[in-house]
Amino acid sequence: MANNYLTTESKKLATWYFTFAAIIFGAQLLFGLVAATQYVIPGFLFEIVDFSVARMIHINALVVWMVFAMIGSVYWLLPDETGIETVGIGLGKLLFWVFAAAIVVVVLVYLLVQVGPADETSLWLIHEGREYIEAPRWADIGIVVVVLGFIYNLYATGMKGNRSGIVTVLMADMLAFAGIYLAGMGYTDNISVDQFWWWWVIHLWVEATWEVFVGSLAAYGLITMIGAHRKVVEMWLWIEVAMLFGSGILGMGHHYFWIGTPEYWWEIGALFSALEPLPLVAMFIHVLYDWGKMQGEEAAKGQDVSVIANKPAFTWFVLNAIGNFLGAGVWGFFHTFPQVNLYTHGTQFTSAHGHLAFFGAYATLLIGMFYLAVQGKNGIKVMNTTKKSIWATSMIFGGVLGMTAALTLSGYVEVLVSRAQMGATWAGYFDSQASVWFMQGMDWRLIMGVITFLGFFVLVADLLSIGKATHHKR
Amino acid sequence: MAKKSVWSDNRFWQRSAAWVTGFASMLLIWLTFDTIPQIMLGTDADLQNGVTKRVPGPTVINYKITYEMDKKRGHEIPVIGEKEMFFGRDDYSEEEAAELLHLGKLGSQVKNCMNCHTLLGNGAYYAPDLTKAWLDPAWGPEGSMQAMTGKSSKEEAMAEFLQNPSQYPTHARMMPNLGITAAEAKGLVAFLKHLSSIDTNGFPRNFGKIQGAVHGK
Amino acid sequence: MVGEILMTQDILVDEFLPLFIASTLVLVFGGFYVGIYTAVKVKLLKNWAMPFSYLFWILTAYCLYLMGSYMHVNDFTAKALVVAAIGILILPHAIYYMQDRVHEENEH
Repeated sequence: MANNYLTTESKKLATWYFTFAAIIFGAQLLFGLVAATQYVIPGFLFEIVDFSVARMIHINALVVWMVFAMIGSVYWLLPDETGIETVGIGLGKLLFWVFAAAIVVVVLVYLLVQVGPADETSLWLIHEGREYIEAPRWADIGIVVVVLGFIYNLYATGMKGNRSGIVTVLMADMLAFAGIYLAGMGYTDNISVDQFWWWWVIHLWVEATWEVFVGSLAAYGLITMIGAHRKVVEMWLWIEVAMLFGSGILGMGHHYFWIGTPEYWWEIGALFSALEPLPLVAMFIHVLYDWGKMQGEEAAKGQDVSVIANKPAFTWFVLNAIGNFLGAGVWGFFHTFPQVNLYTHGTQFTSAHGHLAFFGAYATLLIGMFYLAVQGKNGIKVMNTTKKSIWATSMIFGGVLGMTAALTLSGYVEVLVSRAQMGATWAGYFDSQASVWFMQGMDWRLIMGVITFLGFFVLVADLLSIGKATHHKR
Repeated sequence: MAKKSVWSDNRFWQRSAAWVTGFASMLLIWLTFDTIPQIMLGTDADLQNGVTKRVPGPTVINYKITYEMDKKRGHEIPVIGEKEMFFGRDDYSEEEAAELLHLGKLGSQVKNCMNCHTLLGNGAYYAPDLTKAWLDPAWGPEGSMQAMTGKSSKEEAMAEFLQNPSQYPTHARMMPNLGITAAEAKGLVAFLKHLSSIDTNGFPRNFGKIQGAVHGK
Repeated sequence: MVGEILMTQDILVDEFLPLFIASTLVLVFGGFYVGIYTAVKVKLLKNWAMPFSYLFWILTAYCLYLMGSYMHVNDFTAKALVVAAIGILILPHAIYYMQDRVHEENEH
């Protein structure tokens, strides 16, 4: 690195995490494309890389790149928030290599071994076959060790330096994030009990702790990018934490409608998941409010310049507010009531929601963090967009929106044909899959997926080159 | 400086966030303590005495299972009926049945069923939902799947299909060969039969309404 | 005892589409209501836009009503939906009030 403006080791480590995250992000999209192609051409890579394998890598890579980018984001903001170099940075670097190596081994085993005999050894060495957290048990234990090391660094730094509101929230949130993972490590013959605990991990991650993480990161972004007042931002953050955990923790009920659990989860799930969009609206308003206030203050001084110090990153942060509201909010809300979910559960509707929610709520913000890191690394005061960043943003956001729309169409066909009329039998399932509308939806999903994938390459090219552009204010 | 209001005090909101989170977590833990005992596996004695469990014991494989409308609850529930042969026997002991279920559940994870199929509606959407697969008319005596494998019972047809899935293409989208052995297949079928006996609060709705499976015919 | 069963009857095949649209619009209109309200308050939009924000709230409430009727909700849920509509009405007022207080205290 000829011109590295980063003065702290913590930020340098963050860029390692971001780089590895971006590579895994690419792998996620690649295997997503394989699976999407198999919907359109069922014989594609049959018994070589089957749908089950492609999808497992697709969703595992998703979780892994996000966790990497989240850890990277914390290492990035710690020196700014606490005012000191991160404690235990050597440990952090060691754990990075351990984690990255483990991930590579896990993915190679998924790809080359794929399945084993039905015994415990396979669970320990190959995979556990429970979506999103398929990682074999040896890797489970490894992940816990690595994350504990990371949390030690976070706590030690937070306690030694200035513990801001944002750091306080992150300390509590990351501990919960790691602790919850333990709920998904066991094995039981009872599938109802199995799925009960499995949802503790998945739900309490993506609809509670990860959302709070996003709130903290958005707060940090607003302070660094548009100079929002810390007191205001941190008060928002606390309100958001209250709203997110207040609705999200018991929103768990909407996963307990049909897995064998008692009927009272209908009422609990309906009530709390109906509240879940409220914090997402609040987060959206938060960005709008701060932006309006700061721009207004600037205008009052008679200066008609933008207050935004990093345009591409801020664009992604705004897309995060919109995408979170659309993907997690709107696409979650319309099938969250048990009366409706009875027909939509386990159809492509869930898939549509999953795509837009993971992307809108998490991917957008983490891509924004990539841009913040590029800015910091190149010592840029005000970073402007390039043609490439506009193209990348439009292609990726447009591509995911298109995939979501296509999957929603296919899901609607499934609801009508195989659920409302045919009652979810095999015959009903295949009738819906053979419907012209369903197949068109799958074609469009693949096309939109290709656009997203191409957008990813433009994004990478932009991240690698934007720092050298000359139209920034240095 | 304007008068300090409680609403603009960060410490107030910090405490509120802590209390709300704590309260929601405690409620979730309390509900967990209520739910878990209700979804533990039942026993063989429960089945013999006609005690209804949300998740029956493994020996449910000795019985006939149907899916019937419950007027009071307003949706279908699985009903456990008289004895029924399963691979030629209806006298599996608690240990034998538990062993089969163990093998089947383990197999369902190791063979990665969930990344194509849905189980209890969770998983991938590339292949049919398996929640009530055991009750599916396609596998019944008049169903296309049983006829295709040339077997005379549902469980044998399912086991045969699981061992050689690509020999029986039902759709352009085929199930790949996962190296499932005869013993594993038997376990998987036991797992599927047990799965169909779980009380899922009426999911899936109107299962097989058109083909007449709702009332177990 | 119709009121006690949560699912009183099947959703009609023809009513799935209006149901999905109505429940989507609940949040879309709700978002517009809160968004326009905030934008006017922080002066990103002029004051004449304010009546539109309330118009969107009325549309939100109407879509909630539609959603409830297509789902054939029971009496209790219907009451909860009314409370939800009022909650949405109050939400941005309460949040803006609090934000402004904290802003003033920090600047003046």
